[in-house]
Amino acid sequence: MEAIDLFPLYLSLRVAGIATAISFLIGIALAWLLARRRFWGREILGALVTVPLVLPPTVLGYYLLTTIGKQSPVGRFLEQSLGITLIFTWQSAVIASCIVSLPLMVRTAQASMEAIDPDLEKAARTLGRSEVSIFLTITVPLAWRGILAGTALAFARATGEFGATLMVAGNIPGRTQTMAVAIYDAVQAGRLSLANTLVVILTAVTVGALAILSWAGRGPER
Amino acid sequence: MLELDIEKSLGDFCLQVSFSAGDNMVALFGPSGSGKSLTLHCIAGLVTPDNGAIVIDGLTVFDSQRRINFPPQKRRVGYVFQNYALFPHLTVEANIGYGLHQLPGHKRRSQVEEAIRRVRLEGLEKRLPRQLSGGQQQRVALARTLATQPRILLLDEPFSALDSAVRGRLQSELMQLLRQLSITTILVTHNLPEAYALSERMVVYDAGRILQDGHRDEVLYKPRTRSVARFTGTKNIFRGMVQSVEAEHVVIQSNAFSVMAPTQSCRVGQEVEFCIRPESIMVVKPAQPLKEAVKENLLDGVIVDQLPRGSVHSLYFRISSSSQDYDLEIEVPSHAYERLGLAAGKAVTVSLKMNAIHIIPEHRDALRER
Repeated sequence: MEAIDLFPLYLSLRVAGIATAISFLIGIALAWLLARRRFWGREILGALVTVPLVLPPTVLGYYLLTTIGKQSPVGRFLEQSLGITLIFTWQSAVIASCIVSLPLMVRTAQASMEAIDPDLEKAARTLGRSEVSIFLTITVPLAWRGILAGTALAFARATGEFGATLMVAGNIPGRTQTMAVAIYDAVQAGRLSLANTLVVILTAVTVGALAILSWAGRGPER
Repeated sequence: MLELDIEKSLGDFCLQVSFSAGDNMVALFGPSGSGKSLTLHCIAGLVTPDNGAIVIDGLTVFDSQRRINFPPQKRRVGYVFQNYALFPHLTVEANIGYGLHQLPGHKRRSQVEEAIRRVRLEGLEKRLPRQLSGGQQQRVALARTLATQPRILLLDEPFSALDSAVRGRLQSELMQLLRQLSITTILVTHNLPEAYALSERMVVYDAGRILQDGHRDEVLYKPRTRSVARFTGTKNIFRGMVQSVEAEHVVIQSNAFSVMAPTQSCRVGQEVEFCIRPESIMVVKPAQPLKEAVKENLLDGVIVDQLPRGSVHSLYFRISSSSQDYDLEIEVPSHAYERLGLAAGKAVTVSLKMNAIHIIPEHRDALRER
């Protein structure tokens, strides 16, 4: 049996962890906006947030390439003014993972926020509490299960991200090669025993993470 | 003190109301969807009216012309929601202390303790709302809002979530508590006995308008419109023509019968609507000299149907000369029903007490409505 390079596992977890953290913060805010505010373009925003769920990853990857690639205005600005190159770095894998995991975070959290009786927030308002404090003391604690479930799904999705990541981060062993990409690489090269091992590890890690999160979210039914 | 004069459109629905309230309770009474809760939302600042002004204790919290609109947080309005809106994840004491976030810890604790004592919830401080009975939940909601020392108290259907068994007792408890506080209180209810029991003043709502605003007895016995009469349980509403106008009474002829009613400003030949409450009609005891009071407006007919309602019986009475299914709905105490040996199919004489016959002043509008 050959020695296994665990870097892809480490990179996958790191990318998924950071992407989930970002999705968590942006996702809760978006979920609240969509669940509790009425504003012009709300439906459009909802559709935009959800669309990465159904678009082929190659399309997302293509959009990302044209947005942050070296030829794009954003990419050029980042490179020339700030000296930052995103394309073919692990950071671009984070961006890709964020975009694919955000819909799961938003939709799940939004559903659990919409299930909260609006009278609770109204009551809190008449009791003199600010909107921010109501959000932190009423909305988030009551939507906690949905937020946790959304986080778990987002993390699982980010860990398994392949298509868009391959297009924007590439397949550079030791730098941008995540588990999903490494498995693809191993299969392409005919190294099936390596592929087997990597598949088992990735499955175990993902199932484990989901199990831990659902264990943390257990509790008496309200 | 509350002074309110507002307009608010929501889709097809338009709320346009104006009333004021002092230290006594005011009951907003009317069918579901007539704008009662929306009015409370406007007072609390949860909904912004399109036009008008709201003044609480001399402080203008909303004025569309002067562009004043206080957020709910700054209005100090106590709102008890229909299902109490207790925070399910917080204990009783945390719920009650929720509005006291600005106070330092020790002051907050002592105020929470005082509020708990006032509504007699001692010993339940650490419970969660779902571990409480409906009545206890109501008291937590009251304590939570009273702890913030509101200038006005809004009660939105406070008893609708409770069993009828405990309702009566809780109503009298609430009245006692509110008397001690002497705070302007607006009660919203679609339950007539509740409105009548809790508040001397009734404001009758329908379709976003106020139909009548007055003493509960006036609303009950002298409805200004046909709708008010219907909402307050006056089942017997008739159309007729004024036949004669005397000093003490007028005579009105309707399809099946003619009655004497107390004199009001009307003229001979005028078409009017008049009504009588089911409990103001008496079944005359047979073979007994009639007392003066029941000699008025005697009608012969037959009881076509009856419905026991617990302490009272509803009788459906058809006048002999009539071709209707029934003409009058009569309510008699169940003991009288038994004593008089009443039953469906029995021929009886009834008396429409003259003073209980009310000519609806806005009959013309009501007629046009139909």
